[in-house]
Amino acid sequence: MATKLSAPFLVRHEFLLRRLHSLSGLVPVGAYMVVHLITNATIWSGAGTFQRAVNQIHSLGPVLPLVEWAFIFLPILFHGLYGIVIIRSGLPNNGSYSYFTNIRYTLQRASGLIAFLFIMWHVFHMHGWIHNSQWREFIEGIGGKFFPFNAATTATDAIQASFLIRAAYFVGVVACVFHLANGIWTMGITWGLWTTPEAQRKANCVAGSIGAVLLGIGLLAWAGFALRSSDSDAERALENKIIDARIEAGQITEGEAKHKRVPTEKKRSSADVGETVLGET
Amino acid sequence: MADTSSKPDHFEVRVLRQDGPQASSYWERHRVRYEPDMNVISVLQRIASQSQTVDGKEVSPVAWECNCLEEVCGACTMVVNGRVRQACTALVDRLMAEQESDIELQPMSKFPVQRDLVVERRRMFRGLEKSKAWVTVDTYGPMGAGPRISQTEQENNYPLSQCMSCGCCLEACPQYTKVELVQGDSESDDAFAERQDSTFDGEFVGAHAISQVMLFNGHPIAKNDANERLDSLMAPGGIQVCGNAQNCVAVCPKEIPLTTSIARAGRATTVRAITKFFG
Repeated sequence: MATKLSAPFLVRHEFLLRRLHSLSGLVPVGAYMVVHLITNATIWSGAGTFQRAVNQIHSLGPVLPLVEWAFIFLPILFHGLYGIVIIRSGLPNNGSYSYFTNIRYTLQRASGLIAFLFIMWHVFHMHGWIHNSQWREFIEGIGGKFFPFNAATTATDAIQASFLIRAAYFVGVVACVFHLANGIWTMGITWGLWTTPEAQRKANCVAGSIGAVLLGIGLLAWAGFALRSSDSDAERALENKIIDARIEAGQITEGEAKHKRVPTEKKRSSADVGETVLGET
Repeated sequence: MADTSSKPDHFEVRVLRQDGPQASSYWERHRVRYEPDMNVISVLQRIASQSQTVDGKEVSPVAWECNCLEEVCGACTMVVNGRVRQACTALVDRLMAEQESDIELQPMSKFPVQRDLVVERRRMFRGLEKSKAWVTVDTYGPMGAGPRISQTEQENNYPLSQCMSCGCCLEACPQYTKVELVQGDSESDDAFAERQDSTFDGEFVGAHAISQVMLFNGHPIAKNDANERLDSLMAPGGIQVCGNAQNCVAVCPKEIPLTTSIARAGRATTVRAITKFFG
């Protein structure tokens, strides 16, 4: 069955692409998501602990964007975009055949689409997509809200900005977790790890348990930013103290810190407003 | 047995008709007198003999296919009350117990309709051809006794050999989508057949053919062609298109473990792909 060379790239390499799509969902995308959710859940140990976790990631320094693109952004883009190709190739028929696995077939596609749109927006909302000061100025107000050296306070402010953003993060986390857990189960069939109905039933329990634990961690992380009430002035002061101490110790330079902390003119802007109002009354 | 006393004198049957290939389809209602132990085939026979709709309009008989009338040939496969199955084993008493209202008959939606309930399943057989679903024997001479087959192997393979190529697994599959080509005015039958086959080859081959690959790759003589069969499953439209909805195994009238075959083929193609890549 020689494949004609005239066939489009996506058709000629369908087997390889589908298998890479399956693999990339677990490693690196799924694995990254697990680490990401666990890191975010550490917010409950306080702004200082969360800051330490973020600092550890950012200690990669100039290599960080390379790692981000090679192991996070490009795999997610591939998994998401090729996922759209896969969605377009099928035609859900849950109306006629309402079997549990068929419902999951459709949910896997729906959650994948939601997760992809959410992740694209989430990376824009927090990270701003690219590190460029002009671009960051341009998108100010809607994106690039996360400053890694003021991690807890900037992430909390960004997510608690409105009910809609809180809700978007909730839906996004749930969609991502379902997609990964169900994806682990289908992946095992695709690669031939569990073959018999009995094996697939057991694998389903394992995938379901992984999903349940991950949903717990994910929602804990979500609540840590979306619902947790905190003394933001004290947290911001603590974060700034850590930055100053690290500059003092020579771990980071002033220049580096300048890009990764809340810009001075905006520092404590929301807190300032609050204080003024209090002062007037 | 079904309680016949509660049965109606008549019941209505909605049939999705189509006068010819590519023609537009339309619903037609027929009234059939209830008799005990009817199946959808006998209902269609009554409809054919009446050739009259509920409104009294004279119509041509509804066309359908059937052969064995005992669920081993697959010819009478159609969509009965929204679910694909064989008309011969679709019993009216059961259908009425499941669903109070009329009986609804439609042709399979994944294959081109030739007329009424008759569809063209050429693509299925192309799938079997593509995956070499046969035992290659290159001599007419005596070959001696065949190799012994263990009980376990026999028990694994027998269920797969029951496939009658009815197409239920394909009709219920969300990843198997309809392909209907139209013969050009100046196109010869051979050229059209070739164009159809090359189009089918790029589209999903479906659960039936994947399961046949596992059947023949488990056969002591046919497994000589095992790698070629696996390569056909890794070509465009192969096993990778499966979306794990698992409807195939749920609707299969022969209860063939299709999803087990798919996962086994997944494992075999994984090994095959790695062996091919690293040599």
